[in-house]
Amino acid sequence: MAGAMVHRGPDDQGLCVDPHSGLSLSARRLSVIDLDRGHQPLHSEDGAVWAVLNGEIYNHASLRSQLERKGHRFASATDTEVLVHLYEEYGVELVHALEGMYAFAVWDRRRRELLLARDRFGEKPLFYTQLGDGHLAFASELTALRAGVGCALEIDPGSLDAFFVLGCVPGERTIFEGVRQLPPASILRWSMDVRERDVRSYWTMPRRPASRADSVSDLALEAGELLAASVRSRLAADVPVGVFLSGGLDSALVAALAAQQVSGRLRTFTVDYDTGAVGEARRARATAEQIGSDHSEVILSSGEISERVGMVMRALDQPNADPALIALHAVAQEARRTVTVAVGGEGADELFGGYPRYRWMRRADRAARLLPSGLAAAGAQVIASAVPGRAGKLAEVIRPLSLAQRQLEWVTGGRRQAREELYGPRMQHTLARDLVLEDVEGVLSACGRDGPVDALMALDRARYLPDDVLAKADRATMLVSLEMRTPYLSRELAELTAAIPTATHLRGGGKALLRQVARSLPALSGADRAKRAFAVPMAQWLRGPLLGALQEAADGPLVSDGWIDGAALRRRMQAHAMGSSDQSAILWPLLVMGLWMGAL
Amino acid sequence: MRLLLITPDYPPATGGIQLLCARLAAHSRHCCEVVCIGAPAPLGVFLGGRARRAERAGVMATPRLRSQLASVAMLNATALARALALRPDAIVSGHIVASPAAVAAQRITGAPVIQMLHAEELGRRPALTRFATARAAASIAVSSHTRDLAISLGAPAQRLHVIHPGVDLPAAGAPPARQGLRPPTIITVARLTDRYKGFDVMLKAMPLIRARVRDARWLLVGEGPLRAELSQGAAALGIADALTFAGAVDDATRDRLLDEADVFAMPSRLLPGGEGGEGFGIVYLEAGAHRLPCVAGNVGGALDAVIDGRTGLLVDPTDHAAIAEAIVTLLTDRELARRLGEAGWRHAQSHSWQRMAGQIDDLIERLPAGRPHPR
Repeated sequence: MAGAMVHRGPDDQGLCVDPHSGLSLSARRLSVIDLDRGHQPLHSEDGAVWAVLNGEIYNHASLRSQLERKGHRFASATDTEVLVHLYEEYGVELVHALEGMYAFAVWDRRRRELLLARDRFGEKPLFYTQLGDGHLAFASELTALRAGVGCALEIDPGSLDAFFVLGCVPGERTIFEGVRQLPPASILRWSMDVRERDVRSYWTMPRRPASRADSVSDLALEAGELLAASVRSRLAADVPVGVFLSGGLDSALVAALAAQQVSGRLRTFTVDYDTGAVGEARRARATAEQIGSDHSEVILSSGEISERVGMVMRALDQPNADPALIALHAVAQEARRTVTVAVGGEGADELFGGYPRYRWMRRADRAARLLPSGLAAAGAQVIASAVPGRAGKLAEVIRPLSLAQRQLEWVTGGRRQAREELYGPRMQHTLARDLVLEDVEGVLSACGRDGPVDALMALDRARYLPDDVLAKADRATMLVSLEMRTPYLSRELAELTAAIPTATHLRGGGKALLRQVARSLPALSGADRAKRAFAVPMAQWLRGPLLGALQEAADGPLVSDGWIDGAALRRRMQAHAMGSSDQSAILWPLLVMGLWMGAL
Repeated sequence: MRLLLITPDYPPATGGIQLLCARLAAHSRHCCEVVCIGAPAPLGVFLGGRARRAERAGVMATPRLRSQLASVAMLNATALARALALRPDAIVSGHIVASPAAVAAQRITGAPVIQMLHAEELGRRPALTRFATARAAASIAVSSHTRDLAISLGAPAQRLHVIHPGVDLPAAGAPPARQGLRPPTIITVARLTDRYKGFDVMLKAMPLIRARVRDARWLLVGEGPLRAELSQGAAALGIADALTFAGAVDDATRDRLLDEADVFAMPSRLLPGGEGGEGFGIVYLEAGAHRLPCVAGNVGGALDAVIDGRTGLLVDPTDHAAIAEAIVTLLTDRELARRLGEAGWRHAQSHSWQRMAGQIDDLIERLPAGRPHPR
């Protein structure tokens, strides 16, 4: 199994087999802390507790000193060994002591019980499946799980449907039938004797209060301190660390704080394209100059894009159609030449209210309360047909839809409507139910005391963040054996953001707190920092360098196995290639799907 | 000698500053008149005059208006008028917001001003802190932390004295019996208003404490807007049954609850920016007076109120695992808890309010009087 994940840990491997129970734990290691003595799996002094860890426990040093005071003896300086001794003290409740990004397993030989746990935001993946005889198999990637279960795993058409609509596989689902992903902030206990599993959540974000008396500047001061502390903890490593700069506020803020804390010059990395329009390199370069970092730019050229897309998508354990994955992979590959760990700005938009969508949805909610639905529907139709461009967004705002429907309309780029036309015979039965809508409605109904924006932010934290953004970040970087860390995803910072009303977050165009924090940093003053990500020129690529790969996908199992209708796909390809319409929102996930299936 | 004490905070409102001012008025060797902000009242209704006598002190309460600024302005105007009528021998400004009236009265009457400094107010009003301490004949910081904070903001060190607050000592009697059928109890006594008191970090520590001491419960004595947040947070962590809210209680009930608890915990931290936090933390002395060992943050006034390893355990107030560890240690090592509790009791005995009032009286008597203090 571990052999299928060499990219996640090229430095070392280990295997432990418990002869009494038959349980085995295996691990690949990317050495970041205590390079020489961190061989995994690690065990307790008496060999009764074994652990494997994927990720980092950032507060391991303070936990370790507490454990040492209580008489625990350590054989290494690693965070994995802290898990072992912490388990001896607190049992499964050890998760409450941890701050970090992690997926880990602890085997208790005496109780013959296995504990699996995943970090609070879902930064590190953890998949599992229960076999026919009740045994449990688990792994950090589906590729390894497939290698380990000893039988072929079938693609789940429902998951494929959800992937096409959302661009990622949501929630506990995976692309394979019978395999589940452990949700963020959850633990799974499995007993060797009973062979039953018990999954439960150990943390949720606090519910947002209706108001908080503190001024924005007081809150920003607190947020700034927490973020600086979080950056400091994420810079700790026994290997070189760098920062990914996208040109936007989130990564600039992280880089500026990191630059204050490293002893030498900070290394920063960004990506640019040879197609012109989209690149953020100029802004990233300006930030790098302001903070005085040693900056590298990688040019993602049209000439190499086809090869890179093919290589990355074939290597993924399950498809992910976030276009930034390709750009992140390129920049991670460049960074890996000089650093082993890189810090990024992921999570800021979800916690601090950065997506413009939140403000539009709030307008839509207000409009829905003011306008009778018949009038709103008619008005939307008139505006949609008569008003071009940005002002046409008004139609989206006043169209009478539920919050879940409006959200999906906004984020799925017309893919829900295209399903019927595009789905082949093996997917047709998924049309009977709208699984994605049901899932979104379920999550939304369980949250949102502070209005629609609160509900949408909770939805993004529960789904988009772990399933798309963080899965993308993990896979793109681990494919080149680089560890990515995200300072915004600290428990303290997240809980602070949850204690602030959404209206405060959205003030002044969103991310009011972070803007205020940035204003307090001299290195970042005066710069325009609209929202940025590693944006990519997808429409252009799909008309040029990726056309061949698309053609290949249309000739492959995607169509031949009956998942997608070949004629419909070719119609869309032609329309896009001729330039008569932009079909990239539909073609890109199909290309990802096709490439991924081709490698199965 | 006649003293005039000007303070925005005074009983019946609760809190450390309120208590300190009331006890100073009650235990000073001198005749002490008080001007304070009283109960909420509609604009224009003045509850002036000797509204209420508290022990030996005459108390004049000005109305609490909707605007805090207006309330403070009213306090200052009334206090100045009172000083001119009373011609006191010394003026104690209980809070820097009372310093404008105190300083003006000092310039007119020559009575020296003694400025009290707590903690949180200093960082919030640095300019007023500089003004008050520069003009006062002497300033009293309630802890070394407050003194350092004031000096860092520009207060003149040579006229700055540290005098710790005191504690109400329970009537002498047998020490409380802490063993029995009750669940092991961690107690916090505080208004549920200020985040810096570390309720959030305590909440995070509770699942770890429960993992080690299965039926441990956390008893919160006090009321405030954070109650709902804490209650919901406990539910999210699956430990709703571990929290008990006693609400706001009278002193006798509080004393009984302290007698019934096993550990006092309040891991106060500093405010963002490294300022404020616990000025001293009279509650730690109160816990000691009931022979309770304390767990407190290793920052701010708690460094003076709790002696690490002797009357309690001081830990990083932002590290919930360290707080859990300290509390578990005291809940499981009964001998250590007993020893720290006894030392806490002795520490409290040496911190009577009479001692504090005596030290302040001594300071006042040493001050030059009879002429306005030079700028």
